[in-house]
Amino acid sequence: MSKNELEIVGQVIGGNVGSIAIREKNGKNIELGDLLVAEENEGGYLILKVFNLGYGSQIPTEVRELAAGLKLEGYSAGLDFMDPKLRNYTMASVKGVLRVNKDSLKIPKVLPTFFSSVRLATKEDLEFLATPPKYPIYLGKVRSGSKVLDIDVHLDGESFLTHHVLIAATTGRGKSNLVKVLLWSALDARKFGIFVIDAHDEYYGRNGIGLKEHPNARGSLRYYSPDAPAGANTLVINLKALEPEHFDGIVSFTDAQEDAISAYHKKFNETWIEKVVHGETIEGVKDVTLRVLQRKFKRMLGVYEQAGELICDSDVFSLTAGASTVDDIVRALERCQIVVVDTSRLGEEAELLIGSIVASKIFYNYKKTKGKGALDEKPPVGIVIEEAPRVLAQDKIEQGDNIYSRIAREGRKFKVGLIAITQLASVIPTTVLTNMNTKIILGNEMASERSAIINSAAQDLSDEDRTIASLDKGEAIVSSIFAKFAIPIYTPLFEEVVAKRRQNSKDDGFDLSKSKLLLK
Amino acid sequence: MSALYKFAHMSDIHLGAFPDPMIRDLEKQALDESVKKCIELKVDFVLISGDIFHVGIPDLSVVNDSIRIFRKLQHASIPIYAIYGSHDYTPNGTSIIDILETAGILTNVMKARTDEEGYIVLDFFTDPKTGAKLTGISARRIGLESKFYEKLDKKRLEYEKGFKIFAFHSGITELKPAFLSEMETVPISNFPKGFDYYAGGHIHKKDEFELPGYPKVVFPGPLFTGYGKDIEETARGVDRGFFVVSFDEKLEHVEFVIIKGFDGDFFEYDATSKNSHQAMREISQKLDQLEVNGKVVIVRLKGELSGGKTSDIDFIELRRKLVGRGAVYIQFNRFSLRTKEYEGNRVAGEDVQAIEATLFRENIGSVKVTQPNLKGKEGTESAVELLRNLRQQLKIGETKTDYGKRIVASGIETLKLKQEFKDE
Repeated sequence: MSKNELEIVGQVIGGNVGSIAIREKNGKNIELGDLLVAEENEGGYLILKVFNLGYGSQIPTEVRELAAGLKLEGYSAGLDFMDPKLRNYTMASVKGVLRVNKDSLKIPKVLPTFFSSVRLATKEDLEFLATPPKYPIYLGKVRSGSKVLDIDVHLDGESFLTHHVLIAATTGRGKSNLVKVLLWSALDARKFGIFVIDAHDEYYGRNGIGLKEHPNARGSLRYYSPDAPAGANTLVINLKALEPEHFDGIVSFTDAQEDAISAYHKKFNETWIEKVVHGETIEGVKDVTLRVLQRKFKRMLGVYEQAGELICDSDVFSLTAGASTVDDIVRALERCQIVVVDTSRLGEEAELLIGSIVASKIFYNYKKTKGKGALDEKPPVGIVIEEAPRVLAQDKIEQGDNIYSRIAREGRKFKVGLIAITQLASVIPTTVLTNMNTKIILGNEMASERSAIINSAAQDLSDEDRTIASLDKGEAIVSSIFAKFAIPIYTPLFEEVVAKRRQNSKDDGFDLSKSKLLLK
Repeated sequence: MSALYKFAHMSDIHLGAFPDPMIRDLEKQALDESVKKCIELKVDFVLISGDIFHVGIPDLSVVNDSIRIFRKLQHASIPIYAIYGSHDYTPNGTSIIDILETAGILTNVMKARTDEEGYIVLDFFTDPKTGAKLTGISARRIGLESKFYEKLDKKRLEYEKGFKIFAFHSGITELKPAFLSEMETVPISNFPKGFDYYAGGHIHKKDEFELPGYPKVVFPGPLFTGYGKDIEETARGVDRGFFVVSFDEKLEHVEFVIIKGFDGDFFEYDATSKNSHQAMREISQKLDQLEVNGKVVIVRLKGELSGGKTSDIDFIELRRKLVGRGAVYIQFNRFSLRTKEYEGNRVAGEDVQAIEATLFRENIGSVKVTQPNLKGKEGTESAVELLRNLRQQLKIGETKTDYGKRIVASGIETLKLKQEFKDE
């Protein structure tokens, strides 16, 4: 038997473009999500993806039912089918995802040759994925079913970041790990600024392995925390940095309160919050409105008046310190650094507010820069927002446009993109989801969530519902307008990525473990 | 209840910053007034957080005057404690601060050594009268500041009991004012926690802060003025002076003592949409309306002239008129004034230092060098420092040859080219 015959896993026996039927060769165990190859003439081949599996049998149903009954009820323990490998088999439903011919990659518009053999895709079949783009962002390795192929999957960072990314999955499917791997890769590239609002303080690696282990961390990673470890930056933001629009979509204000805020800001500029808290009166603003605003600011920002003195007992906001924190962060992003802000100790409103301040600043800076014709000099900036529906859900957007929805809509023009992480893509409006031009889809048990993602994906994933439901931890599908087909990937554990780098560094004569800051 | 102890905290005196004799007199008067205040308030010691002088080797006349004033504190049994500021360094080693310490005028409270693991250990200096424990970190050379703090054995400092003061001459990342957002700074997390008082210098803006673990971080700002921007701020009415800190076992009270450096007047004029002749006429008219007798007058011009040259504005004539009406010192700040007709003066900024830094930053990429320290941000900082060193003047009694050697040596030191020039 030739090598090719050994590799054959099935044969095309029927179907149509949307669902090609393949009979599995006995014992080959084709998996859901497997990539198969049907060869064509002149070295060309079709890549097929398995989206469903079922039984096939030459024996009529009644006979099978009777045979099972005889066996189960003990009438004939040794009963079996004649030539079982021939008569009973597995049928795979597959779909063509890519037609490869020399250097040409095309969406297939033909069927594989009828009755042709198919085999599992190999590293060589997917070699075209191995050439990294100019500024690569590593996402993992190509996966065929549950088998990991030794081909790294990269997307071009600039296009990928500025055209927005959605990372969708339920808990425990590897979202955080994926983001860590992605950020680690961005630290390698040093060509993009990425702002990370880290709600769980899991990326920097304060108490374990994290991004701080990267050899470029010293120059390209900034970490802010209200309780900063030695060498990191204490997260403190001056109240003067806050503008009325930073609250949009994050805090609900009545019309009267919004009018009051607008009036205070117009009159007092950057000291508007202090004036509200101080109880400075303005014509047209009722006392009751002012008092409600004072209560809201006390709750949200920790600022209040006591015996005529302004006090701010917030963990993050300050009346005196943090005057240049936002500028520092924005400058770092413009210098291709990754800025991780630990918001794990903060309330949701404070967390979103900080994100809103920075996102607004970077967005409007870039918009202004574009106006001057100098946007080409700026690196792309990505903003990682966890539990994205908090600001991008339909009801939040209906409350009023906020900076995140604005970036989702317009950010691409100004090289600012979102990396939105969510368990609930279905509550994000289709208009926003459609603008997320790369979707990294991890396992999801909820049919409604899968449906929302599939309906807005860059490729036709209408048959992938079962595949998505069956994705295991670390397994994902990358659907992107920058990829020729929806690439199944496996993202390695972040700890393995770090260990591998350490090993490589040691091999190169540089001990990464000694490159960390000298802390005491 | 026993009386509280007190100390004065001042910084950034920048003696000798201005060549103008009138301003030097005012500068001397401000220091003298501060010393008198300290004696009058019966402070137990004076702590200076760096930059006593504007350059590491100042004019001897400036040194002589300052020693005469500082000795008044000695006569009143008030010791002076200090650390080096960024301006107190000389690239060649010995600074005037060392000479003042040797002469017994002041005590440098930064006592540092390196332990066997490579950590920097700071020892405390205890004030004999109050028992206050002082330590601190002088300004470091460019680029070394953060690394020095990173290597600091903080735990040892944090364990020490008693009333503790930490003196430093650095910007703190979280506390720097917005106008200094590009300044190289140290994150507060690199400072040892739990000191009663953090006596800061280097930031030319008076401020007090409280952060978790750092109950009182204080910057007095310049005592008088160090740069053009400072004199402008003073003329605008910004308070100058120093802090007096009362304490026993813990900090009790912090109060700012205002030192009136001079009577000033600040005038700002926006020349946008005016041609140079209109601007000259209007500036002259407006200055005529100011009461300038006996005052320092700062004139700030900004905007873009619609026609004519900036040099059409006759600053000599404007100055002559102001002097004629009794102004003691006049400063024209025209760095933000541009004209449509000329490409020159492309960069606008608040003062010379800001403009120079901007120009270096914008052009550093066009200079092809191999040394990493001469590229990027570090290269920009080295260029700024080199320029500052090149501005050092010939000292009294110094030959031109010695002066030349000194300047060359400081340039080599600044650019970290010692190795390359070791045989010369």
